[in-house]
Amino acid sequence: MIAEKKFLKPATVSEALEAVQQHKDNFSFIAGGTDVMVNKFQGNHDASCLIDLSGIKELKQIILDQEYLKIGSAITLDELTKDPDVKKSVPVLIETARAIASPIIRKTATVGGNLLCDNRCIFYNQSEWWREAVGYCLKCDGDICIATGGKKNCFSKFVADLAVSLISLNASIEIVGPDDKYLLPLEEIYSGDGVNPHKFSKSSIIKSIRIPIHRQMRSVFKKLRQRETMEFSSLTTVTTIDQSGNIRIVLGGVDPRPVIIEGTDADDIQELIKKAVKKPRIVDNDVFSRLYRKEMIEVYLQHSFQELIS
Amino acid sequence: MNKITLTINGKIFNLLVESHETLAHVIREKAGLSGTKIGCEQGSCGTCTVLANNQPVLSCITPAMRFDQAEITTIEGLDKNGELHKLQQKFVEKGATQCGFCTPGMIMTALDFVNNYPSPSVDEIKEALSGNLCRCTGYKKIIEAVAEYADEFKSGKKVNIQQPNHISRIVGKPRPYIEAEKKVKGAAEYADDIKPPNALHCKFLRSIHAHAFIESIDTSEALKLPGVHYVATGKELPVKFGVLPISQDETAMAVEKVRYLGEIVAAVAANSEEIAAQACKLIKVTYRPVKAFLEIDESLKDLGENEKIHAHCKFNNNIHKKAELRFGDQQQGLKDSAFTSKMSFQFEGVSHGFTEPHAATAWWDENGLTIITATQVPHYLHRALAKVMEVPLSRVRVIKPYVGGGFGGKSDPFPHEVIISYLARKTGKPVSVRFSREEVFITNHGRHPSKLEMEMGISRDGIFQALDADIAIDGGAYGSFGVVTSYYNGVLLQAPYKLDNFGFRTYRVYTNKPQCGAMRGHGAVNSRFAVETLIDDLAHQIEMDPCEVRMKNFLDSNTLTVGQYRITSNGSRESLQKVMEQSQWKNRYGKLEYGHGLGVGCGFFISGSALPIIWNELPQSVVHLKVDFDGRVVISSGASDIGQGSDTMLAMIVAEVLGIDMENVFVLAADTLLTPVDMGSYSSRVTFMAGNAAKMAAENLKKEILESIEKKLNITAGEITFSENRIFSNNRQLDISWLEGIEILTAQRGAVSVSGKYISPKLGGDFKGAGAGLSPSYSFGACIAEVRVNPQTGYVKILNVWGAHDCGKALNPLAVEGQLEGSWHMGIGQGMSEQMKYYNGLLVNNNFLDYRIPTTMDTPDIHTNIIETNDPEGPYGAKECGEGALHPVIPAIANAIYDAVGVRITSLPISAEDVLKKMKEKNLNPEKISV
Repeated sequence: MIAEKKFLKPATVSEALEAVQQHKDNFSFIAGGTDVMVNKFQGNHDASCLIDLSGIKELKQIILDQEYLKIGSAITLDELTKDPDVKKSVPVLIETARAIASPIIRKTATVGGNLLCDNRCIFYNQSEWWREAVGYCLKCDGDICIATGGKKNCFSKFVADLAVSLISLNASIEIVGPDDKYLLPLEEIYSGDGVNPHKFSKSSIIKSIRIPIHRQMRSVFKKLRQRETMEFSSLTTVTTIDQSGNIRIVLGGVDPRPVIIEGTDADDIQELIKKAVKKPRIVDNDVFSRLYRKEMIEVYLQHSFQELIS
Repeated sequence: MNKITLTINGKIFNLLVESHETLAHVIREKAGLSGTKIGCEQGSCGTCTVLANNQPVLSCITPAMRFDQAEITTIEGLDKNGELHKLQQKFVEKGATQCGFCTPGMIMTALDFVNNYPSPSVDEIKEALSGNLCRCTGYKKIIEAVAEYADEFKSGKKVNIQQPNHISRIVGKPRPYIEAEKKVKGAAEYADDIKPPNALHCKFLRSIHAHAFIESIDTSEALKLPGVHYVATGKELPVKFGVLPISQDETAMAVEKVRYLGEIVAAVAANSEEIAAQACKLIKVTYRPVKAFLEIDESLKDLGENEKIHAHCKFNNNIHKKAELRFGDQQQGLKDSAFTSKMSFQFEGVSHGFTEPHAATAWWDENGLTIITATQVPHYLHRALAKVMEVPLSRVRVIKPYVGGGFGGKSDPFPHEVIISYLARKTGKPVSVRFSREEVFITNHGRHPSKLEMEMGISRDGIFQALDADIAIDGGAYGSFGVVTSYYNGVLLQAPYKLDNFGFRTYRVYTNKPQCGAMRGHGAVNSRFAVETLIDDLAHQIEMDPCEVRMKNFLDSNTLTVGQYRITSNGSRESLQKVMEQSQWKNRYGKLEYGHGLGVGCGFFISGSALPIIWNELPQSVVHLKVDFDGRVVISSGASDIGQGSDTMLAMIVAEVLGIDMENVFVLAADTLLTPVDMGSYSSRVTFMAGNAAKMAAENLKKEILESIEKKLNITAGEITFSENRIFSNNRQLDISWLEGIEILTAQRGAVSVSGKYISPKLGGDFKGAGAGLSPSYSFGACIAEVRVNPQTGYVKILNVWGAHDCGKALNPLAVEGQLEGSWHMGIGQGMSEQMKYYNGLLVNNNFLDYRIPTTMDTPDIHTNIIETNDPEGPYGAKECGEGALHPVIPAIANAIYDAVGVRITSLPISAEDVLKKMKEKNLNPEKISV
């Protein structure tokens, strides 16, 4: 029996969490829905109850204080790019947001939605007919990874560009669950498993993102894509250095999770770059080849450090 | 079901919607507002854009429930009190709408943008529109329209609409399409917008194997599903069809075996799309897969014990067609050359990417079968339907509504058109179908993936000595236009340069992939790329400017090519001269810094195939004119306006001949019950052929009017002029209004109908294959591209494209510019980012996110030049402008990359990866650098 489809529009976070309790078995949050609705159309998303967070006012605030910039998760990418506090304190977020999807999608897509955007693969983001024809891959209940010709791990790409920047900026997220509320470094919600890339409780909500601006960070963002708009990432690099000389390189689009390389300005930069080239598990599941993306990690990071140092 | 209230364009709608139904679906199907279009259902094309609470949203990926109680503005809500919104007016005036399918979304996006950013720069406009794809315009006119609107919006100055001058001269003056207002209002109806309320919906079950025998099909469970009316399978429709009489190799659904992944195996007609889709899942098919042939090389070889794709292939391989022609002595020519250049090329397939997915509705009544469908070729579809339905030609009526782009992709009779006709007969009800974007892509009929090897030789003083080409093209599973494509790959190399020693051999093979067919610039785009690349290389070898080399070798006007093409007007030199001047070629070519370069390419194309596809003696185009007491001239023509503006062209020609304003003409087009025969919109034939037929018809009408006046007034009018809605003699002995003239005519004759026709002159040689590429006229053109190549990443950014095209005479310069800009844009797509990517025969990038049509951000500044040469046989001197312009742009880009970084491009699309790799190889082998 197919569960009756529902669409709920809670007005507050607590209403949203209550709705979760009533529809535990088969629900999904939806914020902008620009990924969820496409995945539904392709048959990759079948939650019968959609709980829409886009109208919750408490998720739509941006607050700047001396130490932190707090961004509500239901802020749209478009709103983010236009916010004067964001522009002043973390301009790299604006650059990142403007490199995501197209301007029209950014009017709907949210910050939280981007952080929880499902991993992508050319063998997964397809219609039901297509996936049946190719012989379902691991990410849709098949036995093997098709992109790698039969491996037992899923290598779907992590494509949340905003997360790449935010992790580089040492951001934390404020999570609200049915019984608890806690802060977590953003990177900790990513599992590295392409099939289930997010490891925090499905019935929790990311309320806001907290960026420690007191660390006086400077970042460089780079993204590889074939067209200058629309595309999901083939490689995203964000390199950040703070006032104490701590360096955080984060890579997206090349591994099932964001790849983090840490160091300080006392380290040999070339060694850091080498590490960054080696670390991700890149496979041929993209319009650009595995080797080219690997090569571009080095090129992008060399440029990023030049820009940061100059 | 949930009850929601939407205020759409100020009107309150109480609607019952499904919980997860999209806003686009609700607006179109429940509120009945079809101006909002659906192009991809994945938020990747922007055509569904509407405003919800004054914010633009992609309604195809927006849950309608989110906007309960909201105010929605669709394209239909912009015009007020019978007046267009000023932005809509700008779209009309600037020619920013062609097929019109992307227009509603584009306008909604632009409107929101300008409201929020009253004084945008061009770059800001480009960025704002970058989520809205347009396949027709190359964006140039859209950006101009938005920029001008913003300018006037901000300054508060009254938007100044340039009304086209209605009378005196019409031909040669820029003019919006006659239906442009309808398109910008969202009132133009496309195939999916026209559905009888009781229509059933059709969905298809498609093959999950590339090459397999169908062992059994069990439809019993599907038939049990409530709401299902009929389930059809291949055996019920065994009659073969195809656009070419020599390639009738396709059936409506697979019979016995499937030949590509996605081929239709069964079809369901049901009360709703959802039920039909569900029923498809209940059909059980067992397959016995056999070896699939997916690559050209494999299909060329002996296939051993394996199953042939088509039994009719002559030998034990999958070769569909071999074409070979030789003139002069290529081997001797190459021997006599001071320098030769030989390269191998590889091209991925590309697809048309029209924004309107295929859609159609069919029904049967006392007149037999009627089908309304998105087609470029009502005539050929008419014939195919009569054949497969086994009814006389007189029992089929094909109606072409507004069509959202074609580019060759709607120029075959299609299985879905046949199937719904059959289902309509079986169920006794109208049956509708609309494709998903994925279905559009797997239906394909796009440009053939090709491999070719080509060699050219040149004398020391820069004269071409020989050209020899070996070509293999991948036709996919069926014939389509493939036999023609095979020839075009070769024969369309015999101009624009003089070549005495010229030869080629082409193989077209069947493979187990979606079929390829005709696409803008049909057949010759890839081989043209190869020629222009070799010429660039030869120019470097003899150390001569590549433009100068081309100038030296151009054919003259009024000459014959080696294969006996009759060249009449020829603007090659003027075209090249123009783009050289504009790009400051002489000062800049070869002198720019590393990573920055200029490149050139030229080309030519047929202006209508001189031979009809189905060989007969009938005229290729007929136009009827009817005039009655009201003075209005009704133009009846079978020509298919698919957004290129042919209806407007016909009206302009008739108005010009008769000296009446455009309000006195009315176009009735492309309905095979009501309009006379025309072969359709392919081979760039419409302006030349239907235009000539219209001109002849108008001249015949003029003659009728004159005769009746002479008879009535008993005067010999001498030199009579038809102008400014009057009919007068030089001495003003006669001076009457148009309506008075018509009264005299109709009093004598009753309402009058006259006709004009076009038949090509007899052309060409008497050897086998001489007919391929024959045309009553040819267009010529040139492009120069400017690029910047990133030495570290290989990324190529096109900065400028200067293009010039000899269209004979621009009847409507606004429309000609639009065709040229669209052609160059499409060429840029094939050059830079588009390709049909397969995995084991399965199309991987079957959507607008992964099939990468250039957006506004990826489209460089395009500089458009119309070159006029007044063709002796074209209507008012006109010839084609919609296809040929595409040819020179891709090699111009590749040659610019060579100028920038010394890397020769031999495969398309040009990838950053490939450029980088070649740059590295070159730097490792510095001795190879010889410039």
